[in-house]
Amino acid sequence: MDFNFPAEDDPRRLEVRRWFEENPSPTYKQIAERGFSAANWPAPWGVAADAETMLIIEEEFARAGVRQPSAFNPIAVNQCGQSLLTWGTEAQRRELLPPALACEHKWCMLFSEPSGGSDVGGLRTQARRVGDHYVINGQKIWNSSADEADIGVLIARTDSSVPKHQGLSQFIIDMKSPGITVRGIEDMTGEEHEYCEVFFEDVCVPADRLLGKEGDGWRITMEQLQTERQSMTKPGAVWGAGPTARELVHGLTRTGKIKEPLVRDEAARLYIEGELLRLLSLRNLSNKINGKPAGIEGNIGKMMASPHGQRMTSLAKRTQGVAGMVKSNDVLPLPDKEYGRFTNWDYAYWFSPATTLGVGTQEILKNTVAERVLGLPRDSDPSARGPFNQAGAPRAAA
Amino acid sequence: MDFTLSDDHETLRDSAHVFLDKEVDLSPLLKPGAMVADADYDGLWKKIVDLGWPGMVVPEAYGGLGLDYVDLIMIVGEMGRTLAPAPLFGTLAGVWTILAAGSEAQKTDLLGAVVGGNLTLALAIADADGSYEAPGCGVTAEAVEGGYRLTGSKSFVVDAASADKIIVAAVVGGERRYFVIDRGAPGLEVELLAWRDITRQVGAVRLDKVPAELLSGDDADVWPFVRDRLYLVLAAESAAGARAALDQAVEYAKQRIAFGRPIGAFQAIKHQLAEIAGQGECADVAVQYAAWALSEGDPRASLAVAMAQGYNSEAYCDATHRNIQVFGAIGFTWEMKNHLYYKRARCNAELLGAPATQREQVIQIVEREAA
Repeated sequence: MDFNFPAEDDPRRLEVRRWFEENPSPTYKQIAERGFSAANWPAPWGVAADAETMLIIEEEFARAGVRQPSAFNPIAVNQCGQSLLTWGTEAQRRELLPPALACEHKWCMLFSEPSGGSDVGGLRTQARRVGDHYVINGQKIWNSSADEADIGVLIARTDSSVPKHQGLSQFIIDMKSPGITVRGIEDMTGEEHEYCEVFFEDVCVPADRLLGKEGDGWRITMEQLQTERQSMTKPGAVWGAGPTARELVHGLTRTGKIKEPLVRDEAARLYIEGELLRLLSLRNLSNKINGKPAGIEGNIGKMMASPHGQRMTSLAKRTQGVAGMVKSNDVLPLPDKEYGRFTNWDYAYWFSPATTLGVGTQEILKNTVAERVLGLPRDSDPSARGPFNQAGAPRAAA
Repeated sequence: MDFTLSDDHETLRDSAHVFLDKEVDLSPLLKPGAMVADADYDGLWKKIVDLGWPGMVVPEAYGGLGLDYVDLIMIVGEMGRTLAPAPLFGTLAGVWTILAAGSEAQKTDLLGAVVGGNLTLALAIADADGSYEAPGCGVTAEAVEGGYRLTGSKSFVVDAASADKIIVAAVVGGERRYFVIDRGAPGLEVELLAWRDITRQVGAVRLDKVPAELLSGDDADVWPFVRDRLYLVLAAESAAGARAALDQAVEYAKQRIAFGRPIGAFQAIKHQLAEIAGQGECADVAVQYAAWALSEGDPRASLAVAMAQGYNSEAYCDATHRNIQVFGAIGFTWEMKNHLYYKRARCNAELLGAPATQREQVIQIVEREAA
């Protein structure tokens, strides 16, 4: 057991650092060509970096002040792109991965539907095979960055005559295809919208954009969600990213608010939780390095991280009193760092209800932990038994 | 970098697991009025001595096993998981105090006896109001021909009644120093407290001119050194105890039928248990990180143990409370062992100061780091 991080003079670190010194403002294309976009992938895409080297690379990106491709284009680089390595064809990889890793193509996920977010398996968007292509009809919702995406990862129903989880398939589609309409959702923050809804009207997708086989969709989607949840086992306030309790305590100290007894105790509690989440994510990483089975621990991590983030933003907001009810970015000072989208506590606070909804609601995560980690009996789902188009079909709205 | 337990650690934990599962029997405690002595407190200790555990944190230079703190939490965790009633806590506290405050000769002499299984210890430092603050006011030391005489009282002394020698913190010249007294010394009275956690033996001591030997080594920062290690012990007990409480509740929820289904099929139950599982994971990494930091002499060790003790004792309280809730009313009876865990958890969260105290320590360290 060794909780030390790879040393400053670790040869793996020096190699990465040297590259950043030689390429001080690299383009994403250069980063991808060097294999640092998805460094854990095998060549030619990545450099087959192990988990420890991944940590080094992450630290060196931060040191060089370069936003990581996995932060800029997360769906392609983190959540979904790697599905092509296991489920895709050689032609799909050659066509889709280079522009994805170079961040020339931004990707989005097309999973949730208006009729059911938690019950993804009950989705209703249809993909009907017609000759050498599929015709897509339906609607998706809560799609991050779909309005700027070039590529969408779509899960749709290819067979309604089998139970609901079995008739699903995944497609990698061009978001510029005729018949796709994307609309931004005005969420409750009132900030520039993050989420979209996407409408499909007789959209043609070439059959060679099917990922895996028909019916593999559910498994592939679950893998992608686990990967996404794992990446959220982090101490940041929103989705594991953004400021952490370290920065919160920094701000409270700078403003002197840390002296207020109730703030002080809560800040200490959050600081401890944040450090433990950091350790938890590193242990998951270590387990990977040691070849211990990885899998659903990401569910526990996100289950712990989301409420932690909410409590942090809530404490930050609380310190403002009634003044915090006026829209303003001036909450607590943040040290100069890369925070992604959440650069101030005010936005993070008003956004925070989303974090126990997206990527699995808190309730779905608790079910998953209870059933898959603790081995408690599965929830009954009467709609999962028969063919989807009979027992399983959701009733049409009256 | 490796945040995972090694095979050696797991082997050590597994062997302690097997031993304690076989030897610990809590059933004598499941009758009202039972005391820790009824659960083979002395007999279990003899078997523990045979395994060499009393000397596990004694450095090899004094004949001990010289295990590091990650090894230690493997064993202490199992003691906590099984609520093993034996005077290990008192002896560990005594060993660390002697290591921090004793002279070479005292270390050789006293620690050698601990390793040989011939000496159990206890540490009397808390005043009657539970305060560990220096210098304390409970006991004063008076220099006399050939040594000292201690007068006053201390409380919340774990394993006091069974210890062969008690280390007593006493004030001399306005400062807190550490003294060794014999359990059989004239003028010493040990009163067993009606401590709610009946898997531990806790007493109060009254001293009237009790002959004492000063631990003559440098005694600066003795208590922070000992306290940090005792935090680790409690945090390890709590992490493993919380896991035991969770496992028992999960098992029960799979078997108990209500409304035609195992109660564990209901989300009201599932969600509670999932939360406890999450806190359990955090408690695990907290104690492992703290153990590693102490072993390495890492500058963040004091922060790490305070975080672990503050977090884990509350997580343990939550887990044991949820455990009783899941068992339902049967879990509220004395004949079940649920309450033993509940009480251990609650007492662990007070014994060395409440979680809010540890959080205050954490925030002070972070403030100092920021300054």
